[in-house]
Amino acid sequence: MFADYTSLITLIALTAILAYSFYAVLIAGQLSLAQVGLASLAAFTSALVVPAEPLFGFIPPLAIGIVFGMFVGAIAAFILGLPVIRLRGVFLAIATLAFGEMVRIFLINQSWTNGAQGLSFSKLVGPGIAWIALAVVAYWFWRLSGSRLGRAFAAIREDELAATTMGIDVPRYRMASFVIAGAVAGLYGVLLAHFSRFADPNEFSFTAAVDGLVTAVVGGVTLFVGPILGSAFLSVLPEVQRVIGIDAGWIRPTISGVLLLVVILFLPGGLSGLIPRRKSAKRLIADPSLRPTLPALPAAGSELVSLSRLGKSYGGVHAVQSVDLTVNAGEVLGLIGPNGAGKTTLVNMVTALTPPTTGTGTVLGVPLSATTKAHRLAQAGVARTFQQIKLFNRLSALENVLVGGYRITQDTLLRRLLFLPSARRSEREAVAMASAQLIRVGLADKASNAAGDLSYGDQRRLEIARALASHPSLLVLDEPAAGMNHVEAASLSELIRSLAADGIAVLVIEHNVRMMLATCDRIMVLNFGEIIAFGKPGDIARDPRVLEAYLGSSGSDEDEEAASVLASENLAQVAADRDSDQSGHHSDPAPDGETNPEENR
Amino acid sequence: MRRKLLSAAACGSTLLLALTACSAPAGTDSTADGSLTGTGTGAECVIDSAVPIAAAFSLTGAAAQYGEGQKNALELAVKDLNAVGGVTYELSVEDDATDPKQAIQVFDSFISSGASIIIGPTLSNTAKQTDPIAQDAGVPVLGVSNTAAGITDIGDYIFRDSLTEDAVIPQTVKAAVDKLGVKKVVVMYANDDAFTESGYQAFAAALEDQNVDVADTLTFSKSDTDFRALLNKAKQSNADAIIVSGLIDAAVPLVTQAREIGIDTPIIGGNGFNSPALITGAGEAAEGVIVGAAWNSASDNEQNVKFIEDFTAMYSSAPDQFAAQAYAGMQIIDQAVRATCSGEREDIKMGLGDITDVPTVLGSVSLNENRDVEHDALVQIVQDGEFVILN
Amino acid sequence: MQLFLDGIFLGSIYALFAIGFTLVFGILDRLNLAHAAVFTAGALVGIEIVTLFGVPIWLLIPIILVVGAVLGILIERIAFRPLAGRHDAHFAGLISSIAFGAIILSLLQALYGADTRRFPADAFPSTRVEIFGATVSLLQVIILIISVSLMVVLTWLVAKSKLGRGMRTIAENPHAAAVLGLNVGRISSTTFALSSALGAVAGVLFTLNVNAASLGIGHAVELKALAVIVVGGMGSLPGALVGGLILGVAEVLAVNYIGSSWRDMVAFGLLFLILILRPQGLFGARKTREV
Repeated sequence: MFADYTSLITLIALTAILAYSFYAVLIAGQLSLAQVGLASLAAFTSALVVPAEPLFGFIPPLAIGIVFGMFVGAIAAFILGLPVIRLRGVFLAIATLAFGEMVRIFLINQSWTNGAQGLSFSKLVGPGIAWIALAVVAYWFWRLSGSRLGRAFAAIREDELAATTMGIDVPRYRMASFVIAGAVAGLYGVLLAHFSRFADPNEFSFTAAVDGLVTAVVGGVTLFVGPILGSAFLSVLPEVQRVIGIDAGWIRPTISGVLLLVVILFLPGGLSGLIPRRKSAKRLIADPSLRPTLPALPAAGSELVSLSRLGKSYGGVHAVQSVDLTVNAGEVLGLIGPNGAGKTTLVNMVTALTPPTTGTGTVLGVPLSATTKAHRLAQAGVARTFQQIKLFNRLSALENVLVGGYRITQDTLLRRLLFLPSARRSEREAVAMASAQLIRVGLADKASNAAGDLSYGDQRRLEIARALASHPSLLVLDEPAAGMNHVEAASLSELIRSLAADGIAVLVIEHNVRMMLATCDRIMVLNFGEIIAFGKPGDIARDPRVLEAYLGSSGSDEDEEAASVLASENLAQVAADRDSDQSGHHSDPAPDGETNPEENR
Repeated sequence: MRRKLLSAAACGSTLLLALTACSAPAGTDSTADGSLTGTGTGAECVIDSAVPIAAAFSLTGAAAQYGEGQKNALELAVKDLNAVGGVTYELSVEDDATDPKQAIQVFDSFISSGASIIIGPTLSNTAKQTDPIAQDAGVPVLGVSNTAAGITDIGDYIFRDSLTEDAVIPQTVKAAVDKLGVKKVVVMYANDDAFTESGYQAFAAALEDQNVDVADTLTFSKSDTDFRALLNKAKQSNADAIIVSGLIDAAVPLVTQAREIGIDTPIIGGNGFNSPALITGAGEAAEGVIVGAAWNSASDNEQNVKFIEDFTAMYSSAPDQFAAQAYAGMQIIDQAVRATCSGEREDIKMGLGDITDVPTVLGSVSLNENRDVEHDALVQIVQDGEFVILN
Repeated sequence: MQLFLDGIFLGSIYALFAIGFTLVFGILDRLNLAHAAVFTAGALVGIEIVTLFGVPIWLLIPIILVVGAVLGILIERIAFRPLAGRHDAHFAGLISSIAFGAIILSLLQALYGADTRRFPADAFPSTRVEIFGATVSLLQVIILIISVSLMVVLTWLVAKSKLGRGMRTIAENPHAAAVLGLNVGRISSTTFALSSALGAVAGVLFTLNVNAASLGIGHAVELKALAVIVVGGMGSLPGALVGGLILGVAEVLAVNYIGSSWRDMVAFGLLFLILILRPQGLFGARKTREV
């Protein structure tokens, strides 16, 4: 009964494989239009190697073509990737589009491809082989989606910078997705040529690239079956129009265009968004016995950060000048100062997001220089949060924390492909560790919510949990209490103290002076990039220069509030509180403790 | 995870089921019961059932402007032939959207719906992907615009009535040498199109045969419309003529721009130039352009005159060579059907094998043992806004 | 000299197309792939108007500006605005504009058929001028003048006018613009209208220049225009002009000194080179990363 539609059925599979090639780059947040160019390279070069008879009498010619084609696709993608991998978004799309066109023009001008007249291939692919190939590709992407590699791709897609600070080597992973996509494109090229028995370079044009992209996007990139759905939908559409007797001619592309528009406008996740998903693929694993034992943190008091005359200037503006600082394991070091004092610039240098222009520094044994990569520091044991929250918004809270555990987990893709029990064990351990962090910050009941849907305070806490998941020696918190009420801030303070008690060095920037005085062991005050005070909380609170700095700042409400706190409070009392207030673990602070009466009018 | 897989499978199979359910009525094979064989032969042949003729043309996409004319001409031909009586044809024309993948599916559906013969597709490179399917299924194919080498080599079910460039161009070049004394030429061709590239190869071979000096060979893209840079380069060669292998889309702007920048030498083109659009589009600039062609629009052949009149009346535009070849294709098929008085696939195939000196709008046409067409080609020149035979 | 002028004129067409393209990208950070369809629509509708009513060219241009603007507003309303605020607005905008472009093209085929069409022979005087020993047509000179003046006017508009300030604010930060009380929707619509009006007129001038308009003309220029806006710098109006001219001259030089088969390789090779050496393009500003 399917006999009438063998070509359609085969083409659905082949188009889906092409769409997987786009999917492979899209899941890592990249838009590449080189895929059909890679496919055509693979198809035409395979014509040079595919033998007429089985090799050694038993290796089928198609197998040689497929292996060779995937190899060519991967190598070509790698070579293309070397220069273009650092481009983003539309620039990457246009660069890869240019590559695709260059391949086409190159092949047209070659005699071995027979130019525009094209090449004939033997018919080696039918629906069976096409669907087996598709099944293998789909299986691979299915197993990828839950592996550490798959999570790293998703993290890069959602936020590259945050991914870097999880220890993910972003350029390498982007290249990996490029090469994977290239291999899949090569597979597509070889299969298509050996299905249709003929190929000319013009078939692999810009239009074909756009069609492939459209297929992948229509199917959706959030679920591994997306490309298959997209391909089935778009391949069947013209056939359905034929069968129901719509006149051949302009009306069909019009209908297709309108349907495509409708899908894009009204189905944000593509067709795969229609498939009901469980809220999260994984559940919390609260059982502590499943957590693996982690390597010990550095001994309390050992020096983790040492900065010497470190500075950063942009043009003639000195954002940070000549900072000397050491941070030891187990201490909480506070960094305060009015807006624009250079606090974030300083921690960006400490986490290697910003290269210093003067001075030297060592963080966890890694020297800070212009070439130090943030992911290297992260792998050494630095974790951080951001002033502007950088969560992976479309991933669940638990998945965010799982990405955070990148540093201390092992990749599971290969073992997942083979369904080895050890892969399952590794994944359970990773989930157990992530669950522990979520429980620790009080987000256990929101593990399956998308990070972007959480309240502001919860997002702050989730970011901390994600940072903790990497089992860091040094934790950098950039305004963790922003937007929190007193109750939440108090429990955050408590959390920070308990981390320090575990042996983690915590470097924290915060405007909430009261909380800082109560939390930190030492506080450094910056103004205009310079240290104006550095010492114990009590000393800082009494230092008139600090109050002066806040009062002198033209800045924000936060600065005014800090100034008023410094001016009015009985600061010695506040600073002393931090030792006494160790009791009572508020695991779930009331989120809306302070409702603004204005809002209820 | 398993649930995801299941739902995906469910979705997929629903789609396929929907498809097959819709197509069930179309799947009946009318050739199986032998109802397409009739009584009598030739003009007296009577077949009770209508003979299903299928055609795949590019009605949308890049080649749409050729496909539209082909479809119109074919519909006109079927109307004319059905008016004769005895044998009626039921024509279904489908769109391949200038996409070989679509064409493959169209061929599949034609084959399963019982078409006696398939006409098309519009482009040679598409034919190389579709014709093997018909060959495997034992359905005869008549190409009406495929000129690339190797089309009829696909198999013994594949025929064509479109003269290859090899058949047209040598005499065009010879005429140019004999009549105009051309000694040195510049050759221009679109190198990203199978039709124009094979035209170029034919020109190159013919020029070598005639010992014409090729001063320069310039390529362009089939989507190009601005040729000034190329033409200025060609102008520097001071050649006696410019030879162009391009489609009509390129021909009009190329000829206009050549005259605009002051190239007065003759411009010589192949089949691609043989369209009334050359004259309506390029106007004055088309004067003196030499066109080697498979179809003579100015021929006083009675069928041809009537075809042009009817076509122009029906579609309010003059037919081009593609249209004429499509019309002739239907005339040839009619001849083949009546010869055996059968619309069965095998009988049509046999009938097509015996086509000899059939009068058509292209003139008297035969299909040779390689299933390629043979008829007189001609060389035309544009004079006073009309194609006339160069002699 | 002839070579150089040929390149300049070829490039001015690319520039004319690219200016509208880059305007939308620079201000709204969206790549509108329906621009090619607007270009084609301008050409075909223009031909229809001239053929039916015998409208002179100088009157046709304002009419086509309006046609283009209307199309632009439709594109913004239908293909872009519903996506506002979606995390995947970038990808989705690409695809929805492709879909919208396909709809425009198929409707054009429904209206005018698939045949190549052209303006009546006497639509524009085919006067030729000699400059520095090179022959150029009056039309080519006019196209160049229009490209340059459009670039100047638009640059002025974006830099100085109230509308331009609104546009730049949106380019900087759409949320802030909304907070400041700017009507983001209206300014986006205006930007699309301007861009498409230019695209449609570019289609008319292009068709006059080459004497042919088919459904595919926009597509052929689109790829080159993408190269142009990258070479010139995404979002930069002077960049689009200079990029266009550079590409035009490079192509003509390639035809003469490398070989015409490799001409398009030059365009894309140039694009590739620029992206690698200077990703922000010749006139683009490098955007700084915010932490």
